[in-house]
Amino acid sequence: MADFSKKRFLVIDDQPLARDALRSIAQTVGAFAVEFAANYQDAIYRIRNNIPDIILCDYVLGDGRSGQQLLEELRRFNLLPDECIFMMVTGEQSYEQVVAAVELVPDDYIIKPFSPEKLLFRLERIIAKKNFFAAYYKEKRQQEYARALAILEAQHNSEAGRPYRFEILRQQAEVLLVSGDAESAEASYRNILENYDFPWARAGVARSLHKQNRLTEAREEIERVVSSTPHFFDAVDIKAGICMDQGEHAEAQKVLDEVAKKTPRNYLRKRLLAEAATLNGDIETARATMADVVANDTMPGAISAEDRLNMARSHINGNDKISAEKILVGLRDSEVQNFDLATQASFAALLAISSPGRGKPRFTGLRPALMVTEIPATVRLDIMRAALGLGDNELADKQTEHLMAGEDAKKTFSAVRTQYALHGRERDFREIQRQVALKRIHHDDAPAA
Amino acid sequence: MYDLLDILASGVHDAKNQLFVAESLIASAELERGLDMGEARYAVEAAAERLSRTLTAYRLLRQGEQASICPVIVGDLCAEIALAQQRHLAINHIRFDIDCRIIDECLFDRDLVADMLNNAVQNAARFARSAVRLSAWLDGETTVFRVDDDGPGYASLPPPFGIGLMVAERLAMIHRRQGRQGQLHLSNGGQLGGACFEVRLP
Repeated sequence: MADFSKKRFLVIDDQPLARDALRSIAQTVGAFAVEFAANYQDAIYRIRNNIPDIILCDYVLGDGRSGQQLLEELRRFNLLPDECIFMMVTGEQSYEQVVAAVELVPDDYIIKPFSPEKLLFRLERIIAKKNFFAAYYKEKRQQEYARALAILEAQHNSEAGRPYRFEILRQQAEVLLVSGDAESAEASYRNILENYDFPWARAGVARSLHKQNRLTEAREEIERVVSSTPHFFDAVDIKAGICMDQGEHAEAQKVLDEVAKKTPRNYLRKRLLAEAATLNGDIETARATMADVVANDTMPGAISAEDRLNMARSHINGNDKISAEKILVGLRDSEVQNFDLATQASFAALLAISSPGRGKPRFTGLRPALMVTEIPATVRLDIMRAALGLGDNELADKQTEHLMAGEDAKKTFSAVRTQYALHGRERDFREIQRQVALKRIHHDDAPAA
Repeated sequence: MYDLLDILASGVHDAKNQLFVAESLIASAELERGLDMGEARYAVEAAAERLSRTLTAYRLLRQGEQASICPVIVGDLCAEIALAQQRHLAINHIRFDIDCRIIDECLFDRDLVADMLNNAVQNAARFARSAVRLSAWLDGETTVFRVDDDGPGYASLPPPFGIGLMVAERLAMIHRRQGRQGQLHLSNGGQLGGACFEVRLP
């Protein structure tokens, strides 16, 4: 039996009476050190400062937040080591529906009221499971995916693995996906679906197909999940990502907007909404949403340079170059110098657009690198736009050629066309498209080596 | 605009929170004063189960209940039912044992099935002379749970369906997988010679 007297408990509940009740139960199972957190922010602060061994978190945290959201946020910031136990406590049976559907689940959940003996039993079962997967967790954390998969494979075939067979399959699929083997991940998720139509597994199929750029199939799969499991909000995020890559920006914005209203404090989703709105040309929504993110995502370190660049971008789209410039010059020099090349390029391009006098020298200095380096689509859009504004058509056309030839062509098409139209270069844009198409035909016709 | 289900669910939720406060106060008192108030806690939990079951019954009647299918370690589920019932039954001089022959994870709604089995064990204990048994095994791909007792058995078969049996049958039936559906079988003369409550889940 585990010795809980040495474990540190954190009880998270916004109701004082319920908090006391949870502490009493924890003490009854032998807990000596029980800390409290009365709300979401307090919980994050305490977990960051000193990771507890066992977290007992109520599902309803007040102020529009849920324990599920806290769990997702902790995972997002890697604040929950695999050894830490996260147990959701809920008075509602409906939480089971959430657990059955979503991809990010707690170690377990328990329905109130429950006896100290039941809590003890559940905690011991979680510890047994964590011990079983300990070697795997270690390899996964170190991104040694081949070794992690080898451990899972051995466990799958072992007698001891029988009580965890679905968890093993799920972890296998997940590791295959993060390790970049989307085809095998898809096969793994489909294998799980043969047992039961789990929404999280079908969402996994959609994510795997998305990574393989098989967008139509990915969309079909995720539509099934979204329509059958409306409370699985992450599925909507996946759908929106697929829609954007298909060039269906209006649909992406629409679905994200609906879900964001139900989860007003999910700022990852708001960032996605801002991206969709930008691509959809809804400049005002993009700007308001990013402003909300920058002002209210209070998690320390949550607002990245990327967010500030997004904010500046949305001001530029709204033709408010002064606000954009203000944000960009507000970034510290030391911070900018530490950016990778792509982020530096976006920064320089956006500054060159909002304040040519200030931004041009830096932008021009980067030019040789920008002509040859592989960079993400968003950055290429910034460079193309700045280059058009500065009259550097060669640099602009180079970016456009890359964009139209790559996987992001549908996603970026209308944004590129708009910029060329603004500079009276629609004909040149059509010519670039034609050249890209010709190259593709030649490439397809070339005999196999 | 709230509908009746929202109002009921919210009331049940609040009541269960209060019952949890009551249970924790009892547990604290036990710890501080070295008392055994297990039966008081059992009564508190039984009250909460009744509330949940009432809500489930209402959802089932409105066809709104869905099974939340998750992988479940059946041995753990059986152990939890033993944990909840064994002491209480022993106080009433009834032996409760578990015969679980399933090692693999199985797919069903853990909470709904646990509630159904707890209820079946409680019912069996009301009629048993001295013993109740919960068994679990796999029949092909079907997970089977059976509660046997050594009482007089059902007076007629099928027995008149009260709310408990109605809920149990419908809970079994909302388990669907690969074109198959869960079933409830009631019979007499099982392993212990009395009533036999059997749930088969695809």
